Amino acid sequence: MRPISTSALRPYVCPSCRFAGSLNRRELGSKPAPVTDIYDVVCVGGGPAGLALLAALRASPATSKLKVALVESQDLDKARSWKLDPQHFSNRVSSLTPSSVSFLQKIGTWERLDVSRTQPYQGMEVWDGETGSKISFDRSMETSPFEDLRTVATMTENANLVQALLSRIAASGDENLSIFSNTTVSSIENGGTDEPDGPDLSAWPVLSIVPAANAPQSSASPVKIAARLLVGADGINSPVRRYADIATEGWDYQRHGVVATLSLADQIPAPFPIGTRTAYQRFLPSLGGPIALLPLPDNHATLVWSTTVENAAYLKSLSPGAFVTMVNAAFRLSMSDLKYMMHMERPSTPAADVNEDPHESELTWRLQHTPPVPQLPPMVTGVQEGSVASFPLRFRHASTYISPRVALVGDAAHVIHPLAGQGLNLGIGDVASLSSTIEYAVDHGMDIGDTLTLERYTADRWATNAKIGGTCDILHKLYNVRGQGPVAWGRSLGFEIIDRLPFVKGFLMRNADSS
Amino acid sequence: MASIRPTVRTASLLLRSSARRSHSTSASSVSASEVSHFSSLASSWWDPTGPSRVLHLMNPLRHDFIASCLFDGAPESTLKRESNPNPLHYLDVGCGGGIFAESLARTIPLPDPGAQPGTETVTRAASITAIDPTPTLVQIARDHARKDPKVSAHLQSGRFRYVNCTLEDVIAEAPATESSSDVGGKGKMVRREDGFDVITLFEVLEHIDTNASRSPLSFLTDCLRLLKPGGWLVGSTIARTWPSFLINQVIAEAPWPVGVVPKGTHEWRKFVNPDELESWAREGLMRCSDLEQGSVMRSGSGALRGMRWKCAGVVYFPGLGWNFVPGSDCWGNYFWAIRKGV
Repeated sequence: MRPISTSALRPYVCPSCRFAGSLNRRELGSKPAPVTDIYDVVCVGGGPAGLALLAALRASPATSKLKVALVESQDLDKARSWKLDPQHFSNRVSSLTPSSVSFLQKIGTWERLDVSRTQPYQGMEVWDGETGSKISFDRSMETSPFEDLRTVATMTENANLVQALLSRIAASGDENLSIFSNTTVSSIENGGTDEPDGPDLSAWPVLSIVPAANAPQSSASPVKIAARLLVGADGINSPVRRYADIATEGWDYQRHGVVATLSLADQIPAPFPIGTRTAYQRFLPSLGGPIALLPLPDNHATLVWSTTVENAAYLKSLSPGAFVTMVNAAFRLSMSDLKYMMHMERPSTPAADVNEDPHESELTWRLQHTPPVPQLPPMVTGVQEGSVASFPLRFRHASTYISPRVALVGDAAHVIHPLAGQGLNLGIGDVASLSSTIEYAVDHGMDIGDTLTLERYTADRWATNAKIGGTCDILHKLYNVRGQGPVAWGRSLGFEIIDRLPFVKGFLMRNADSS
Repeated sequence: MASIRPTVRTASLLLRSSARRSHSTSASSVSASEVSHFSSLASSWWDPTGPSRVLHLMNPLRHDFIASCLFDGAPESTLKRESNPNPLHYLDVGCGGGIFAESLARTIPLPDPGAQPGTETVTRAASITAIDPTPTLVQIARDHARKDPKVSAHLQSGRFRYVNCTLEDVIAEAPATESSSDVGGKGKMVRREDGFDVITLFEVLEHIDTNASRSPLSFLTDCLRLLKPGGWLVGSTIARTWPSFLINQVIAEAPWPVGVVPKGTHEWRKFVNPDELESWAREGLMRCSDLEQGSVMRSGSGALRGMRWKCAGVVYFPGLGWNFVPGSDCWGNYFWAIRKGV
């Protein structure tokens, strides 16, 4: 824990405002200081984690009376009016574990989601592209006859979730609620004492917020808001974390995640029980990471392919037909075949005829010489236009999630490798823990920004997140060892053992779920 | 283990100065070494990692225990249930640096400009007055309260007051005819004509010198006199048992890093057992009734009609914090409550 005297008094000024800020201040010197509005909770960042915190606070009777504010630099009106036709899906999709889903149900958000756009899946096939060892999970087998099919996770578009959260927050009324959309934080500093007998805000963070540069009324003067509890849900480069002087450690994986929305052929034979869906993940040690195909409604699927930066650039440059071929190849061909196909010449002009695509013919030819495996996903038949994108993979973990009057949630606190699809679930877990901590504090007369209150939150979440983030990191490193050496033998042995011991598998599934 | 040095000193000062009745005008009854001792503790009183940490951790359980008392018997008469859902007036005796008083003040709802009847809070508090005889501690408490705008607003409006006086001063006051006449918190008048709904006495009793002229019995009687019929006197203390000797005297006061309490904080022979406390409570209620009636006849068991006695043990687990443990009231730390019959 940092002493208040040193770091809490250090102001944070965002780099781009450092110059402009000093000019502004000189201007402000002649005018009377703007009145500071006091809030109980100010959340910086209107992504899924920040909005979920706001929705959770508004949903609980104990905390619904708190005065809360949200500051988001993007235009939330666009998120409110987001709409796609039923055959198109956003490429930003998250797999929500059953515990995340039940939390969203508890805060009254799940019912506001467009559930027809979500896809639960019950089975999972994971295998090693180098050694062929595999592990399969099937939660539908654990289901008792009196309940719905148990799921591994539910695929949900982030935009769908954000829209539902905004709708839930709007339904709670606008009393004690301020949403500063299209607004950026220009600086965070400590407050002072306005009048001799009045409240002393010297240990409180005071934010100066200004309309974002692209906002219509960008000439307005900054507004000052003080926060009893400042929540940083502002992503990997969190300004709130920098203000609180919380150290964060981590590394870049030198990998990119390639995402895309794909359409699939019908599964033959049809799955049993009817309607069950399966997620597929194949580790490709020679290409830098796993490829995963996660189901979306109506024979659609979302792709997450973690691979080296060069491979990602190559994949993004391919024509849609060649991209689809590479995805099919990545689930089927051997490592050496794949490495060859990753370096094939691209046709200088987009192929007029799909049959002439060199990737396509290469795959057809090589497949004849590859022994089939039973757990293959259906063939990918198409890629949604404009849905291929990539993002860098990184690992970050803050040394603590709290500091006096500051708490971090979501990516501001931790960024992990996406191979287990746990990123957003950890963020929702943070929100569930922080909101119940705040609830307890309100009921017991505690100051919700006090270290004694917040230490419950960091004690609850830090070790859990470190465990899951660390597991993903170890898996990433284990599955980047190429060839048939002892590491490959060891990891395959582990896979085979787990696959043959149902109780271990069940334990793993439940463990992943309850995180 | 729960109590730390400041509370000890508060309690002993409370008693010593009250015996001489000369505390309020000058610091002459307070020794210079004690004043300097408090000055050195002032900065650490609200430090979440400082010597008061174990006491801070206990605070939420005080709220839980009070909530269980209010659930067992609401202080206000059920016949004239007021429209205000949060009508209770609290008195915190020996507030020290205000750990409990400030947390209770935070549960008082701010006046609603819409004038709608608010929702019921857990503590149902309308006001709290906190008293302590040590000027330094009261100043620490006031300074800290200013750091929270909500609590600060309550201090300004007089719903939350810190008064630098002893319990005996309060008893000596003529009951205020109109409690609202003292709004603003500048005056010293503490006593309410109709009494307090809840009086709290956290970590005070075990420091009372049973050999002195002022025993816990008369101290308890004074508290009960300020209580409204149907109101609760709530406190916490430590039982005088061999586990508590081991925990509080041997382990808790051991040198760092084992100990969590400064050496010399507790004196095991001054600890109070639940059964002793209960019998004092009965005697106190009868004496209280004598004083109220002013009759030559001593009150009998009729004064105990409607009385309630509650007791719940708590145990501190290092790394986990405080927890209610059923049946542990005979081991060490415990909460107790007395309800004055209607």
